[in-house]
Order: sequence, then structure tokens, then C-alpha cells
Amino acid sequence: MAEIFVSMRNLNFLLYEVLNTESLCTLPYFSDHDRDIFDMILETGLALASEELYPALASMDKKAPVLESGSVRVSPVVRELLQACGEGGWIGAGASFQHGGQQLPDTLLSAVRLILGAANYSASVYPVLSTGAAQLICSFGSQELIDAYVPNMFAGLWQGTMAMTEPHAGSSLTDLKTRATPTKRGYYLLAGQKIFISCGEHDGVENVVNLMLARIEGAPAGVKGISLFVVPKLRPTTGSGLEPNDVVCTGIYHKLGYRGAPITQLEMGEHSDCRAWLVGEENHGLRYMFQMMNEARVGVGLGATAIATAAYYASLEYTKERHQGRPIMAKEPTAPQVPIIEHADVKRMLLFQRAVVEGSLSLIMYCSKLIDQVHAGPEEGRERHALLLDFLTPIAKTYPSEMGILAVSTGLQCLGGYGYCDEFPLEQYYRDARIHPIHEGTTGIQGMDLLGRKVTMKNGAAFKLFLGKVQQSIENAKKHEALQAECTQLSDALVQLQNVTGELLNLAAAGKTDLFLADATLYLEYVGIITMAWQWLLQATVAEAALANCDDEADKNFYLGKRTTCHYFFRYELPKCSALATRLLQTDGLTVKMDVGLFED
Amino acid sequence: MKIVVLIKRVPDTASVFQINDAQDGIDTSRLKFVMGPYDEHAVQEAVNLKVAKDGEIVVVTLGGPDAKDKLLTALAMGADRAVLITGDGVDSLGHRGIAEALAAIVREESADIVFAGKQAVDDDGSQIPERIAEILGWSHASVITRFSLDGATATVDREIEGGQLTLEVPLPAIFTTEKGINKPAYPKLPNIMKAKKKPMDETSLESLRLSATDLCNKVSIGQMSLPRQERLTRILEGDNNTQVAELVRILKEDEKAL
Ligand SMILES: Cc1cc2nc3c(=O)[nH]c(=O)nc-3n(C[C@H](O)[C@H](O)[C@H](O)COP(=O)(O)OP(=O)(O)OC[C@H]3O[C@@H](n4cnc5c(N)ncnc54)[C@H](O)[C@@H]3O)c2cc1C
Repeated sequence: MAEIFVSMRNLNFLLYEVLNTESLCTLPYFSDHDRDIFDMILETGLALASEELYPALASMDKKAPVLESGSVRVSPVVRELLQACGEGGWIGAGASFQHGGQQLPDTLLSAVRLILGAANYSASVYPVLSTGAAQLICSFGSQELIDAYVPNMFAGLWQGTMAMTEPHAGSSLTDLKTRATPTKRGYYLLAGQKIFISCGEHDGVENVVNLMLARIEGAPAGVKGISLFVVPKLRPTTGSGLEPNDVVCTGIYHKLGYRGAPITQLEMGEHSDCRAWLVGEENHGLRYMFQMMNEARVGVGLGATAIATAAYYASLEYTKERHQGRPIMAKEPTAPQVPIIEHADVKRMLLFQRAVVEGSLSLIMYCSKLIDQVHAGPEEGRERHALLLDFLTPIAKTYPSEMGILAVSTGLQCLGGYGYCDEFPLEQYYRDARIHPIHEGTTGIQGMDLLGRKVTMKNGAAFKLFLGKVQQSIENAKKHEALQAECTQLSDALVQLQNVTGELLNLAAAGKTDLFLADATLYLEYVGIITMAWQWLLQATVAEAALANCDDEADKNFYLGKRTTCHYFFRYELPKCSALATRLLQTDGLTVKMDVGLFED
Repeated sequence: MKIVVLIKRVPDTASVFQINDAQDGIDTSRLKFVMGPYDEHAVQEAVNLKVAKDGEIVVVTLGGPDAKDKLLTALAMGADRAVLITGDGVDSLGHRGIAEALAAIVREESADIVFAGKQAVDDDGSQIPERIAEILGWSHASVITRFSLDGATATVDREIEGGQLTLEVPLPAIFTTEKGINKPAYPKLPNIMKAKKKPMDETSLESLRLSATDLCNKVSIGQMSLPRQERLTRILEGDNNTQVAELVRILKEDEKAL
């Protein structure tokens, strides 16, 4: 099995050389931290990942969770991990001191999550889910709710979940049916069913705290009638005990990959005794969820990047060791075979993976820094940062998810037949990676979010901000000889992007919303590639500057690797935009107009 | 009770090692450095002892400024204070010199107990704690897998060939730790953040009233090379006579085995 699943050199490059993460420590909220602290945290995260998570990667896949009389048995590693994360303060690491957290920046924590996710994605999900759920309670819940639930969630004793999906409400959450009936005792009575709820029940914890969306009786239809509740599996009694809360796990699903974490079907209120506590105000539930959505979606992109990262390093190791074939120009048939990494096509496969993996990570970390700036940056910049984050979120969710699958597939290809067999982790990574375009809003939903909402929001302000940022990066890159062609190429791509977007917006203005959004997914793919080119130019600019006065051989090699991968992206990937632009400009509505009946036979 | 822990910053053994250009040492420029893996157990045992019996833990190392981050790790694991012996002459010390310098700190701190890893994984010397015990005239038990303390007597287990030895050791004493003794805990985030606020003192050979010239290493390394990595399989061709002749030649000339 491959031992290397992540590059600390690359993480350090992004954290300190590209994003200047230490600069966050000048903000009052983060002022207790410094680089030494960050480094120790990264080192500890790597130890936890290497010693606890990675060794359980295959076993958690092969021995998937089992449902036995209402309880889901998961790997014993889960309990140990949650305990370690709880005791170590990892689950509440980003929360404020006031809420028992450590006020660490998301930029740093993203790096830690990448390390853990690359070691074992399924295992890494448990603590992260608790973090998200607890964060919702801290942000919008009453002090009583915070006191009753958050400490045990941060301690790793109770599992947090996000419970939204129902059989009839997946992408279309507004159609959810779970009902909440008010009582005079400070809680609501809940009845309904949820499906696909990650970690909604398992024996690695004492209790599960579901952050659940439901409709209060008599609430308005649609988005404006959804409320957010805390719905525990066991509810605290007036003493300090716990009693069952009429939440039952009635099933788990058997999945393609990501098998170490169960997804559950939950029934609430079979005995009319499922109590739910309102978070924030009635009918604001979806808004609260959406405020967390940017982070959750960037988190999905991060998970996808993590798996693809592990796959890349596993395939890289293999290609150095596997001897097969001879150089094309070699004449001697009895000459020894060469390691396959020497073949141009294998280098291409590795470059493709590296371009996707390191480009995605760069975008994710960039978004994480925006999250920190929105949260704790100077007041005057917050709105701008929030707008840019809003725009980038569907891209940061989708590019790594969709392209991550192709990257892992390419990694698998590097191993030939062994890639398809379970002696190597590639086949598992391939299955694990497939979830990411699906959960937290499918790719189709992200496409409509980008084109239908983000491009047009505030009169196109977010879109303009994005264009400005890319333009600025081009200006910064221009002084480097090695990046001249890339600057021109990206400038041209920006012009074309404005053109395409303008044409599409004309359709919207003419009321042809169906045509406008018909190829929103393609538009997302298109902007995704341009965004990646931008991130590669950002990285390459830093690398070029560093190369100018670099004596260390290893560093030089690293920066030259960055330059070459940037060139690869611009020469192999960015040109794909032309084809996408061609299609997007046609606007003939082929898919809109096509009669569904034509799919018969 | 005062507990001193001795640690060393060593290359991660998972690193790829290369010999330096002068061929008299390891090229350290590409190496990742960690706290000695056995030293982690020593720090953890001190922390466990402190939890059980109270006291103060002082973690000590000798080396350049780079060693500070490993002291910081020990502070994050639960040590209270750190001392770095650094400055002129520390690089030139041999085992004896290092032991003298560390013994000086142990004396200065009036320690009751010293824990150290059973060996440093860089040169595998297993020399320093034993020499310190000798210098101080203290009791000493090495490679321990269990430690307990009752008043001023420690009871320890050490693995020996085919069995186990249980020893009672009067304090003050020095113990070196073997892997199974405990599971080093991952530093907790709040402790990582507190670590930087804990005192870290620097001292030099001079302020310990030691002479670098007297203590400098008397052993010099003539040449260092990597062990041969691959099994060099050779298939000899030809009839039996040719093969035997070739085999004898290889054993004599190439391998110098005959
Ligand atoms: C492993 C896993 C973990 C999950 N974890 C959780 C969890 O913890 N909590 C939770 O609440 N949910 C969870 N889910 C549910 C997940 O978020 C949903 O599966 C997802 O949102 C899609 O909903 P759906 O499955 O109902 O698909 P559908 O909504 O039926 O979508 C099917 C297809 O139709 C497309 N489509 C749907 N509507 C439109 C439209 N209006 N226009 C164009 N195309 C459309 C979609 O893009 C998709 O390709 C999880 C799912 C999985 C598989």
C-alpha cells in the first residue's frame, strides 16, 4: 500500500507562500496564534492521519457499517477517532473561545481536513459533521441549546448531523414534508422521515444530534416555510440523564464507496413523542442552512481534492517502481525496461492529476481564506470577500468533485491491471470519489446556482469582482518571462467569458429563462476551467518569484514542477474552453426543445 | 518532584537518506526532523507521572536553534519548562561531552527522576543516559516497559531475552523508555497554544562551566556510505566449468569474500 497520501511541502507552499496565512494572525480574532502554532497543528494532524486514519482506510471499506436492531455498528476506529478529536479540541477548533473553541482560522483547518481526508475520507467525515452541526447551533441557537448540546459535540461524545433530505425532497428541499407541531412546553413535536443522513446513527458515540429541517404546521409553502430544529436521538432529561426521543434508524444504504460512514434513514415521531427544539426563528431554517452552505460546499470540494490527492501520490509511487517497456527512441530490444514514469504518456497522466489536485487545493484554500476574511477580517472588506466567496463556491464544490473523479481514474490507469484490483487503494479511491458531485447539491444544481444566481446577483457585482481578481493576477504574472504566453491566453479567455456570459444574459433579459439555464452545467464547467487557470497562474507567479533567488535544489525542483504543471494546464486543459464556448454561444435549446418521447427506444 | 526529560531532534526514519558531498555525514538539507520516537514515550511517561503524583517537568535538549520546535512539541505534550543547551561548541561534542552537558543541567535542576528514550534513532548510540547516570553516580534502568513510583522507590519492568526483569530503583535515578511503556498522546490544541507561553531557557557550555575543547569529539568519521539497497542477483551463464570459474572470480574480486 502507498504510504504517502499528501504533500506537506505543497500545503506549506499554499499556506505560507501563496496565501500568507500568518497575516491572518494580525486580525484581533486570530491574534493568539502564530506560525509556530500552525506548524505544530499541521504536524499533529499529520501524525493523527498517518497513525490512526490511514491504517484503517481499507478495513473501513471492507467492513462497512451494519444495522442491528436500530443501532448501526461502525468500525471501532470511529469511537477512538472521535474521542481523540474531542479531547484534542479538533472538533471545535474553529469556534470562538466563548463557545469552547480555539478560534483557529479556516485556512489552517482546511489544510488539516485535507490531511485527514486524504488519509481516510470516511473516517474524517464524522468529526467534520459534528463541527458543522455545532456551528449552526452556536451561530443561530439560544444559549440553552448551546449549553445543552455543543460541549458534548465538541468533546466527540455526541455526533452532529445535517438532516435535510427526504424521499420526495432531494435537490428540491422546498418540498420537504417533515412536520413540526408547536407545544406549550418550549419544544415542537416532530413527525416525518429523512433519508441519506450521514452518520445519523452509530455506536461510536453516546448520542446523535440532528440539525433537521422541517415545516411548522401552517407555515407558508416553499422556501419561506422551512425551519431548523435540533432533534436529538436521546434527549436530555431534567436531571442529567438522557431518554429516547422517538427517532429511529430504520435503514442504512449500501453504497458504491465512502463505505466507512453510514447513511441512514430516520423515522421521527412514530409514537408522537419526538421533541424538536427550534434553532433561531421560525421559517428561517433554509436561510440559516444556506449561511453554512458555502462552507459545507467548499468542504465537499476539499473532500474530493483529498481523495484525488491520495490517489495521485499512490500512483506516483507506483510509476517510479513499475518497470515496463523501453524508451521509444531506444533501439536495443534487450536493454532493461524502464520505470513507466519515463514514458511521455505516463508523465501526461501524472501531470493531469497534479494539475487537478493542486489547482483544486489552491482554489479551496483561497476560498477558506475568504471565509476567514468574511468572518474576522476588517469590516470594510467583508462584503467584497463575501461576494467573491459566493461566486466561487459552486466552482470550488464542483470542479474538484467532477475532475477529481477523472483524476482518480487516471491515477488508477497509471497502475494498469493492478489499479483495478484491491491490493492497491486506487479502486477504493475511485469508488469513494464518486459521491462528491452528488451530495450538498448536485452538479446540476451548482450550475444553476452559478449562472442563475451568482452571475446575476447584485447587478453582476460578484462576477465583476471575479473578473477583476483574475485580471489583477494576470498583471502580477506579466513580469515573469516563463508566464508570458499564459498571461495572453488567460486574458483572451476572460474576453471570451464576458462575451459568452453577455449572450446568455441576453436570453435571460428576453425572458427565455429555460434557454438561459439549459446548459448551466456546461457554463459551470467552462468557468471552472478558467478559475483553475487563474489559480495555476497565481501559484506559478509565486513559484517564479521564488525561483529567482533559490539555491536549494529541492526547492528549485518543487518550483520548476509548479511551472511545468501550470504550463500543462494552460496547454492541455484551458483550450477545452473554446469547445465549451462554442456550444454555449449556440443557444439553440436542443435539450429544452427535445420531446421526452424521443427517448423511447 | 522534579522530572527532567531528555529529548533529541532526529531525522524522521521514513525520510530518504543521502550522504553529503564530503562523504562524512548525512545530507540533512532534505530531511524532515522529528522528536526521537522513544523520547516521545519518555515525555509521555513524565506527563503520566505528573498527573499521578504532581511535580514539574523540565524538558532538555542540546543542539542548534532548530531544536526549539521539538522542545515546543514536548511543552505541548505537557512539559512545564524547556532548556536548550546551544551556542559555541555544542556541534563538536562527542557522547562524553553531551552527557557532561546534560548532566550539568540535571544537577542544576536538582532533578529527582530523569526520563529519556532508550536510544536516538539517528546514531543509535544508547550512550547518553547511561553516561549521565555514571557521571552523577545515580541508579539507572534502561529499556523499561513499565514504571511505577512508591515514595522514593520506583518499580520498573525491563524486557530481557526470554523474559522480563522487575527492578526496584531508589531515586534519584535515570530511566530510558521502550515503546510499549505508554501511548504518547497527540498534543491537544489548547496545549499547543499554551506551549509558546511556557518558559524556554537557553544556556551554553560556557555558562555550564564546561570546556568545548576538553569535551570535543575525539572520534572522526573517515567515510560514510549508504548500505547497498538492492539484492544484486546475477545469473551466471555457460557450462558448469565456466560458471564455477566466474563464481570464484566474483567471490574473490568483486565481493572479496574469499
Ligand atoms: C453518501 C451520501 C451522503 C448524504 N448525506 C446527506 C446528509 O448528511 N444529509 C442530507 O440531508 N442529505 C444527504 N444526502 C442526500 C444528498 O444531498 C442528495 O442525494 C442530493 O441532494 C440529491 O438529491 P436526490 O438524491 O433526491 O436526487 P434528485 O434531486 O432526485 O436528483 C437526481 C438528478 O436530477 C437532477 N435534478 C434534480 N432537480 C433538478 C432540476 N430542478 N433541474 C435540473 N436537474 C435536476 C440532479 O442534478 C440529479 O442529477 C447524502 C447522499 C449521499 C448519496
